Amino acid sequence: MSDVPALEVVDLVKHYTGRRRRVVHAVDGVSFALGRGEILGLVGESGSGKSTVAACVLRLIEPTSGTIRLNGADITHLSRRRMRPLRRQVHMVFQDPYSSLNPRLTCGDIVGEPLRLHKLAHGRALNARVDEIFDAVGLRSELRFRYPHELSGGQRQRVGLARSLILRPSVLVADEPVSALDVSVQASILNLLRDLQREMGFSCLFITHDLATVEFLCDRVAVMYLGEIVETAPRRDLFRRPQHPYTQALLSAAVVADPVVQRARRPVVLDGDPPSPLEPPSGCRFRTRCPLHERSAPQSDEEHPALREFASGHLVACHLVDRDRPAPRLVEDAADIVNA
Amino acid sequence: MLEVSDLSVRFDTDDGPVHAVDRMSLTLAPGEVLGVVGESGCGKSVTCMSFVRLLPETAHVTGRVLFEGRDLLTLSARELRRIRGREISYVFQEPMSSLNPVFTVGRQVGEVLQRHLGLSRAAARSRTIELLRLVRIPAAERRLDEYPHQLSGGMRQRVMIAIAIACDPKVLVADEPTTALDVTIQAGILDLMRDIRERLGTAIVLITHNLGVVADVADRVVVMYAGRKAEEAPVPELFAHPQHPYTIGLLGAVPRPYEGEGTRERLQEIPGRVPSLHELPQACAFADRCPRADEVTRSQIPQLREVRPSHFVACFHPGPG
Amino acid sequence: MNVIVVAELDPRTRRRRLLRKRFLRRPVAVAGLVVVLFFVVVAIFAPWVAPHSSAFTDFNHTLAKPGSRYLLGTDELGHDELSRIIWGARSSMLVGVLATLLAMVIAVPIGMVAGYYRGWTDTVIARATDVLLSFPFVILAVGLAAILGPSLLNATLAIGIGSIPGFIRIARGETLARREEDYVPAAIANGATDRTIIFRHILPNMTSTLLVQATLTIPQAIIGEAVLSFLGLGVQPPQTSWGVMLQDAQSYTSQAPRLAVFPGIALVLVVLAFNVFGDGLRDILDPRTTR
Repeated sequence: MSDVPALEVVDLVKHYTGRRRRVVHAVDGVSFALGRGEILGLVGESGSGKSTVAACVLRLIEPTSGTIRLNGADITHLSRRRMRPLRRQVHMVFQDPYSSLNPRLTCGDIVGEPLRLHKLAHGRALNARVDEIFDAVGLRSELRFRYPHELSGGQRQRVGLARSLILRPSVLVADEPVSALDVSVQASILNLLRDLQREMGFSCLFITHDLATVEFLCDRVAVMYLGEIVETAPRRDLFRRPQHPYTQALLSAAVVADPVVQRARRPVVLDGDPPSPLEPPSGCRFRTRCPLHERSAPQSDEEHPALREFASGHLVACHLVDRDRPAPRLVEDAADIVNA
Repeated sequence: MLEVSDLSVRFDTDDGPVHAVDRMSLTLAPGEVLGVVGESGCGKSVTCMSFVRLLPETAHVTGRVLFEGRDLLTLSARELRRIRGREISYVFQEPMSSLNPVFTVGRQVGEVLQRHLGLSRAAARSRTIELLRLVRIPAAERRLDEYPHQLSGGMRQRVMIAIAIACDPKVLVADEPTTALDVTIQAGILDLMRDIRERLGTAIVLITHNLGVVADVADRVVVMYAGRKAEEAPVPELFAHPQHPYTIGLLGAVPRPYEGEGTRERLQEIPGRVPSLHELPQACAFADRCPRADEVTRSQIPQLREVRPSHFVACFHPGPG
Repeated sequence: MNVIVVAELDPRTRRRRLLRKRFLRRPVAVAGLVVVLFFVVVAIFAPWVAPHSSAFTDFNHTLAKPGSRYLLGTDELGHDELSRIIWGARSSMLVGVLATLLAMVIAVPIGMVAGYYRGWTDTVIARATDVLLSFPFVILAVGLAAILGPSLLNATLAIGIGSIPGFIRIARGETLARREEDYVPAAIANGATDRTIIFRHILPNMTSTLLVQATLTIPQAIIGEAVLSFLGLGVQPPQTSWGVMLQDAQSYTSQAPRLAVFPGIALVLVVLAFNVFGDGLRDILDPRTTR
């Protein structure tokens, strides 16, 4: 059973239909697999659809089409009732440590809720398990009786982690779990996440826009743009040899906390604004901003690039990239984020 | 040009006084980019908003803010209004809430030009187009008549910057200008700031919690902690030779790329929490969390000392990590 | 590892103290509460406070001016005005509170369902609310009176029904807002049912708003009762209410204006007090308030 991926997403599509038949293409054909014990980073900027993918995986919303398999079971269109028992296997950590905890419940109540709802424990046994998970996330057990607003942002995020891990799920979806925290607090939560993952062995879908965090935590990385995955590769490969022009631009735009390196870099500047998900460009969605557009036209205007294998485990969706044909380097130092 | 000395800000809240800033000092030379770095609650925004008295009534500000020889804290409201937006202007984090949604872009930029520089409507319009071009907004003539919600976040921030530099201010204070923006857009805005400094000679105070941003754009940097200055140095010097344990902790907390094969190291954590600002500690504010803490640091407030050329630290045990 | 400088008190006490401090900084709201409590006490203890019953008449002293025997004078039938005001307070308070409670109990779940499920459910409920809104409660009361006969109970019913749309709106709005908070999807991910989410997660976070709304609905209900009683659709003799007193006073406006003035003042005082207190309550419960 161990070669069944913990999470498998095939051709996931989520469209929102608004008034006057306007369709928002939030997610348009995303596929990936999350192996056991693996941390997959899902990187993208706003409008990329990464949070929608998370919501679909957790079945908080229902996909328009495609398949989602959790530990082999197809959960794509399960009813709420049928989904409930399966919710023990997957849980989520949210970005906002303020709104993800009910201000009217004590932290102990919040963390114990999954146990209670699934009727897995009560009374003393429940308290023991809550204490156990509090300890695992580094919180003193007195904090069980406190309300969320009395805790700091970092502590609240730990409570969120405790809640999502108390049932020992096989898949944890983390949607920007540290973006709203201070730098020093981010470090402790990232360390904690890494430690817990090693200890408990869950698979993790780590969603973020911050490449440095991805580089620290993840085994593999998938880059999203406008509802699609444009590149996916093992961590080192992605950072050393980014292929897709968007990935290269993203890497070069990330600021590095080292003035000598940072000032020597010349970021790739993308033209214009990201297109609206209401009307994604035809063909390659990135073509309106791609610095290499001249080279890929007219194919990129008409034909949608498929995710193709560039190297082992490294897939790229670009007309200019092929097995034996790496992408042109946009900047010499695009990979300097690695060499800093 | 801008000299802040002994600045203290105290807020009177329901729970008692909050000493957000304690005897801060800052200097800003013409055309310089000063980065003010710290985590939430350190007082960086409060400090900079107090220059032109942008704080609410519950704030009590003491100290001196000398701008070209005059103390801004003693100016009358009318004199202050002439400085705000014209000599010292601000750009904030959330462009959507800083721009009025019911007025067009052109009207909002034009308003500043008309009020401060007395330009006519037509002159303001053409100057607005110039400004929009300066901040690299494509199709400036069309944008003039658009509303904020029709623009993307990055564009709106550029409009904010256009408004801020409309009157060619001597100082631009940017409070987390790129925090709410995507990474690729952020690069463009930082580039723009560099451009403004070079072309217009504007001095910039850049408030941020992101050390990478500081490394990219700033000349000098001030690190704040719990309302006090912890360290100050030219940028290359601070990153290469950090002295204050808090700065060292911050630098260590940022994930760095790792090439090696074995298990990579943990990120550096700073244990504990920022102290409550209800009382002014008569000791080093960082003592509770500092690996170098001892009797001295717990009983006296460290003063700023120059430990290396142009490099100031408020610490009893400065030194590399 | 995480060192917290723990506050001296537990969170509940701290919050109560904070609220009390804020409250005391608003003397007008304090005055409002005092007046409200005064009338509530009077209403509850009417049998012991009122010198006479509301049916008591003294034919030897009709239309008497305020004096030592009858503090506020008497009306044309010899009823003691003071006693009637006190008994009237009882009617008003009763209707005010009961009608509001009735409205809340019915409207809040409906509003929450509308806000939580959206879609068709919401549309249907919204339209139904609109229909209800377009009925002035007076017509409703007349209708009820025609079918069931006029009485205090029916007046309460009519006013309660008339107050329902207001609560539905509030409950729906709050539910819509809370729904977007992250702890709702977190609860879903925990395996919570809709019922759990609505009652355990959303409702407790709405209580402040509902409390304020109730405090502001009660005076409206009191006025409503006065109107109905004025029209004869509410309280029936020998019970009395301020509305009835105002009705009776109509014929004597030139002779004895005080017959209208006293119940009028009482009405105004109570309504003002409730409104002022409700406003203050809304202010102090708002987390953004700084004072």
